Amino acid sequence: MFISRQAELSRRTFLRRSSQLAAMGAASSYAMGLAGISEAAAFSDVTDYKALVCVFLYGGNDHGNTLIPFDPDNYARYADIRGGQGDEGGGIALPRSTLASAILNTPDDQELAFNQTLALAPTMPNLKARFDQGVMAPLLNVGPLEAPMTRAQYDNRSVPRPAKLFSHNDQQSTWQSSQPEGAPTGWGGRMSDLAQSANTNAMFTAINATGNAVFLSGEEAVPYKVSGNGATLIRPLRNNRLYRSSTAAEALDMIVRTGTGNILAADHASMSDRSITFGGFVNDAVQNSTLSTDFGSDNRLAGQLSTVAKMIGARGDLGVKRQVFMVSLGGFDNHDGLIGRHEGLLAQVDFAMDAFYRAMIEQGVANQVTTFTASDFGRTLASNGDGSDHGWGGHHFILGGAVNGGRFYGSAPEISVEGNDQVGRGRLLPTISVDEYSATLAQWFGVAPSDLASVSPNIGRFASPDLGFLTRG
Amino acid sequence: MASHPISDRSQRADHQTFATVDPGPERARASEEIAAPTRARNATVAIAGLALAACGGGGSGSTTAVAGGGGKGGAPAPQPTIRAPENDAQASRFLQQVGFASSPAAISELSDQGYEPWLNAQLARSNDQSAREFFSARGFDQVDDNRYYNRRNEGDYMIWSQLMTGGSSVRKRFALALSEFFVVSLSGINLTWRSVAIGAYWDILNDNAFGSFRELLEAITLNPAMGVFLNTSGNRRADERSGRVPDENYGREIMQLFTIGLFELNPDGTPRLYGGGPIETYTNEDVNGIAKVFTGYDFDYSGIGFTRETNGTREIPDADYVYQPMTADPSRWRRPRNEGFHSMEEKSFLGLTIPAGTGPEESLRLALDHLVAHPNVGPFFAKQMIQRLITSNPSAAYVERVASVFDNNGSGVRGDLRAVFKAIVLDDEALDAANATTPAFGKLREPILRFAQLGRTFGIRSISGDWALRDMSDQSGRLGQSPLRSPSVFNFFRPTYFPTNSQAADNDLLAPEFQLVNETSVAGYVNFMERAVETGGFLFRDVELDYSAEVEIADDSTALLDRLDLLLTANQLTPEVRGLIQPAIDAITINADSEAEDRLRRVHTAVLLTMVSTDYLIQK
Repeated sequence: MFISRQAELSRRTFLRRSSQLAAMGAASSYAMGLAGISEAAAFSDVTDYKALVCVFLYGGNDHGNTLIPFDPDNYARYADIRGGQGDEGGGIALPRSTLASAILNTPDDQELAFNQTLALAPTMPNLKARFDQGVMAPLLNVGPLEAPMTRAQYDNRSVPRPAKLFSHNDQQSTWQSSQPEGAPTGWGGRMSDLAQSANTNAMFTAINATGNAVFLSGEEAVPYKVSGNGATLIRPLRNNRLYRSSTAAEALDMIVRTGTGNILAADHASMSDRSITFGGFVNDAVQNSTLSTDFGSDNRLAGQLSTVAKMIGARGDLGVKRQVFMVSLGGFDNHDGLIGRHEGLLAQVDFAMDAFYRAMIEQGVANQVTTFTASDFGRTLASNGDGSDHGWGGHHFILGGAVNGGRFYGSAPEISVEGNDQVGRGRLLPTISVDEYSATLAQWFGVAPSDLASVSPNIGRFASPDLGFLTRG
Repeated sequence: MASHPISDRSQRADHQTFATVDPGPERARASEEIAAPTRARNATVAIAGLALAACGGGGSGSTTAVAGGGGKGGAPAPQPTIRAPENDAQASRFLQQVGFASSPAAISELSDQGYEPWLNAQLARSNDQSAREFFSARGFDQVDDNRYYNRRNEGDYMIWSQLMTGGSSVRKRFALALSEFFVVSLSGINLTWRSVAIGAYWDILNDNAFGSFRELLEAITLNPAMGVFLNTSGNRRADERSGRVPDENYGREIMQLFTIGLFELNPDGTPRLYGGGPIETYTNEDVNGIAKVFTGYDFDYSGIGFTRETNGTREIPDADYVYQPMTADPSRWRRPRNEGFHSMEEKSFLGLTIPAGTGPEESLRLALDHLVAHPNVGPFFAKQMIQRLITSNPSAAYVERVASVFDNNGSGVRGDLRAVFKAIVLDDEALDAANATTPAFGKLREPILRFAQLGRTFGIRSISGDWALRDMSDQSGRLGQSPLRSPSVFNFFRPTYFPTNSQAADNDLLAPEFQLVNETSVAGYVNFMERAVETGGFLFRDVELDYSAEVEIADDSTALLDRLDLLLTANQLTPEVRGLIQPAIDAITINADSEAEDRLRRVHTAVLLTMVSTDYLIQK
């Protein structure tokens, strides 16, 4: 009984795989003449290119020192809560003087709650400039919610709380998938499921430039992992020599793709098969594209985004019109040593995201590529001495030519550890759900309103399936 | 019991277990359900009694032979039932499960002695290798121009040397598994003497690997590397004036990861359900409460001298400070004070209330006792250790058998790690050789284990003696995993991970190690091993492998492959894969004028092709 099931699964896997890899590039020798797989109506007649790039900040970004109140009253509250001394800062409060050049001025028609003026962290000058240009928008107090929830509803549990709040791995998963750890699919993957039909080569729809994560896994979509300049190739196969023997190289090619008698062996073999089958194709395509934007040399996030930029540059040869990417940066869990370390991390994010935006301008797709941040959770506004602890809602950024930037989205939370938009120690109770965030991105990407619930499962319970931070069309 | 006329000690141990622990009505009921069939099976197999208590209920196997002889003459009493490997393959399989590698000598020793006597001898060996000794023998703990106090490389050298060579490999194998449960990462500790600090942490795991869970938990809690990694060092009580509150990190993770986990568990590791859903073990209020316990601790500098760094202004403490448990006694801190920073408030969590005014040592004792007494710890810990050592998807009954040994080692002791380890590796489910061909059995060997196995199987040695093997974490250009280098406290992979759109997912199987598997890492691994096998290139310039036994038989590809198949995979290469490897060996002709090189090339080819095959990669 088991064996026949396995045989059936193998056949499905084979069918999935054999409908793959059609080359678009004239110079390519990989053409197999097979079209992409499923036929989701929404994406079947797509002509333009669009991509979403998720920048995941692992560890839980301290939103309190990412967007900081600058107006005197709110700055004083902030400094007081974070252990500072007046305008000098101190504790984990940034000095007010460092914020003056980083103020994000709202347009005339926008006023933030509590009469706040917010400044960006002083180590993010590039994103500040992009805000001023109108291509960057901060999204305030967003986090996982099952349904809209007030503080009273949180306290009396009349509205269900997301499971396992404040836990890193579970909230990473919840941000990426709407479920705690163990979720089978993420919303990047679910969007990819719908968008695959737009792509001649469906397997390059969901592209991962960082460690394995659920975000890019779909029902059908399988994330494809890239690194450096594209794919990592098995050297003895590329050279057709293993220890100087071509016979051994040929044996290697067969052996790593063989997995019999054991389920995990079969899965490992099929990953090796994907790696070998697609690697050379990807690298040929990437080599045909050019990219002169400087991504620096010692910024890991920029390195990943440079790989993404190269993949986007190769979109024609790769045969793709819709792609979802994921990159990440770790180190945000600053229970200690927040001051210094956190500004450094934000500086890396700032440089990397800006370099990527420049690269998209270089490639003429700045309006077609939208980059957005996500993180495990926001953190406490209260200080634990020299850091902050796990929270819930936080602030995020959306960057791209299609962004209605230069203004804020969502409501500025009260600078307080007692207010009604927090649940203790300044852990923000989100006023915007991740589902609203993902649904807004998804609709820009081309997901039909009727398909939104498959991407953002709780969206029906929220007022705004479109938060308005992206221009559609 | 009365229905089985042939009783043995393991049955009585079972009975005692359930009698002394007083687990409450629900747990007792579940235990009895499992215990009944187990006893029945024992009775049919263990004819002469004396299966040792620590193996627990599932101990006696149906697939194993009885070892001959053993022991010194004496009375012609009935031979005790000692399970032993039926053949070399079974012996090699066991050696790879309990250690890092097998060898002809160990196979023969194990076969002569039987599983448990051999294992007991290994467990009885004291820990004869320490990080501390490694650093001091090489001057890596000295303040000099090398500025070792700022470096991490020597921490990597230390752990690779421990995994690759010498000492009690069984102890170290379990310590490595513990390092993936109680995670501290060399990549994430910024303190003076970070290499030595991770060594001090490793020494704790190694020293306590077969000791007490409770003592181990206290030792790691107060270890300076852990103190930095999860922020206990320097953590202070709340201060109303500044609004400061205690750091919650350690309080949260000691519950979520090191003891009880997020959900209430049945004794067999499955979640307890209430109204169809799992039951969370703690709330954020519990975190706030327990966080107060871990306040007031900082590094203990008593007896520590300082040396001015060369061409600098920093006063560098003796490396010894990272071996000293953190202290809440402020007179022992670097800047001594009269009053400490421990919270004297009432500390309330998980149903325990530590009264206001309780000091740091007593609070810690009460808190750790309370955590370790939680019924979740056994199944939570047992399942993950089984996953690390034996199989990604143990049966619930296997988990329960091991968890019950955690609860009581047979002598009323809770958390006896030696007994837990034995219960894991001597369980039927682990020993049953038939499982090697069960499609859902086994686990992906972690990359660390593959490289360590290469080293140990082929007598790796360091040319300089420093074991200059570095951080191997990079997936594209290196091994894709490096010991004590987890990217976070959540380990390299999560125990519940499975790859989506896979046969594992379709069959509801977990595959934690697959969190490291992707298009990049599978290629990176082959490239890494190609160079590792021939110790070529930058990464391997300080090590040599000894293939002399293989070179000797390299002209006979069948003999060569037989040997490698046994030592590396426990004869699990499928005929299909053997049929691919052998022609590749034969294709390398041995010429008179290049005989040594040709023979070696045959060995390299055979080793590499074996170690990239999925027959090898899935340990089963």
